Amino acid sequence: MSRDPVIWVSSIVTIIAFSYLFKENELYKAVEHLYVGVAAGYTLVMGYNNVVSKVWTPLTRDKNFVVLIPAILGLMLYVPYISKQYSWVKRIPIAAIVGIGMALTARTQIMQQFIGQIKATVGPVKSINSLIILLGTVGTLCYFLFTLKPSLPVKTGSEIGKWTIMVTLGAAFGAGIMGRISLLIDRMFLIFRDWIPLIKVR
Amino acid sequence: MGFFEKLGQIDTRIIYVLFILAILIPLVTPLGLPVTVSQHTKQTYEIVNSLQPGDTVIIDIGISYSGAGDVLPQTVAMLKHLMAKDVKVIFTGVQMDSSKIIEDLIRPYEEAGKQYGVDFCNLGYLAGGENAIAAYARDLRKAYPLDSRGNSTDTLAILQTVNSAKDANMFIFFSTQNADMYVRQIAEYQVPIVGGLIATIAPQAEPYLHAGQLKGMLVGLRGAAEYETMMESPGIGVASMDAQSIAHLLIIFFIVIANISYFATRGRTQPAKEASQ
Repeated sequence: MSRDPVIWVSSIVTIIAFSYLFKENELYKAVEHLYVGVAAGYTLVMGYNNVVSKVWTPLTRDKNFVVLIPAILGLMLYVPYISKQYSWVKRIPIAAIVGIGMALTARTQIMQQFIGQIKATVGPVKSINSLIILLGTVGTLCYFLFTLKPSLPVKTGSEIGKWTIMVTLGAAFGAGIMGRISLLIDRMFLIFRDWIPLIKVR
Repeated sequence: MGFFEKLGQIDTRIIYVLFILAILIPLVTPLGLPVTVSQHTKQTYEIVNSLQPGDTVIIDIGISYSGAGDVLPQTVAMLKHLMAKDVKVIFTGVQMDSSKIIEDLIRPYEEAGKQYGVDFCNLGYLAGGENAIAAYARDLRKAYPLDSRGNSTDTLAILQTVNSAKDANMFIFFSTQNADMYVRQIAEYQVPIVGGLIATIAPQAEPYLHAGQLKGMLVGLRGAAEYETMMESPGIGVASMDAQSIAHLLIIFFIVIANISYFATRGRTQPAKEASQ
């Protein structure tokens, strides 16, 4: 058995978390609350470290006063908790966050996800995969055509689209299962390798 | 209750126990099932293998602990490959857990004699998600005045020649979130992008690979196993594949059982339901 207390705690907590699969119990509820508390504490510590490394140190050591602008904008988010009268102040940093985020995303989204993807889809069909992607894309677009009268080409395209969507959902579901099993395998390594040395792989 | 009805109503706790055994037994007594390498992984291995000693790559660790079991093994495998090739690595992160994960990743190499600040550095977590990626891709030292150990980034030798995504020889990201924000913010710098993704989100990133916006992609634990096979250095990934395969077979078995039960009892249960209504 491991002598590391961290391994002991994480293994026991994992087993208690899994106990929910059999029946909800008091230990599970306790672990659930523990998790919420630890996550909140962890976020607080990370937030504090972020303020120290990105604001306090550059300000005091490097005399970089520019960092005061985002710091003040960040503090403005907390005004509604102090004064209801001035709660509108929070709209300024929110507008900045949304505006900058939108601008950054919209510009590159058009270039990479819109034009880049269209170019790759309609480009020369060099392989069977390219043909399937082209047919699947056109078919899926046909499936979502609601304003045209359903003619034979649209109906055919729509049918191809329906199958494409089903295959896509199946692939996503399969990948989802694979990912979840990987996480369970990881927990098995913790309990049966790091805690109880049954699995020999390092 | 007939046989087929019973088949469709197996106690889920029995399924859970069978599932745990299906994973545990192959881990304890490996079956040695062969691992075939997909085209994605071959492509990824080849592009990483084309890096030369002294080249510098940026690796963004967008991994949270909740999804680390699926993505971390591929990160470990690729880092081993990069370190063996003497490639320099600048670590960044957009997840709160990034700093700690990076420290755990680099510790063995630091103990083995690789030099912090020269062979690699940990810039740590930068808040802001996609905005953070856009900021450090443009100017690493400006986005990160300090690294995660409190050193001024102006003093790190590795950052004197590489200060943005366009200066790097490759941009690699490992993510439990998505690939979209990396492609959106990094592709314009014309640097080869390689991604390692959690299996659940990998299908959404396939179009980027097809379009050439991603030059390589590893998918979950399976990707780690394939990468380890390419490196001829089996690790956690290869060791997990027997368990992964047996668990998948068990799921397929229960899907078949459920469908047999459904189709065999469909005609019989319908009138009963109607009668109760």
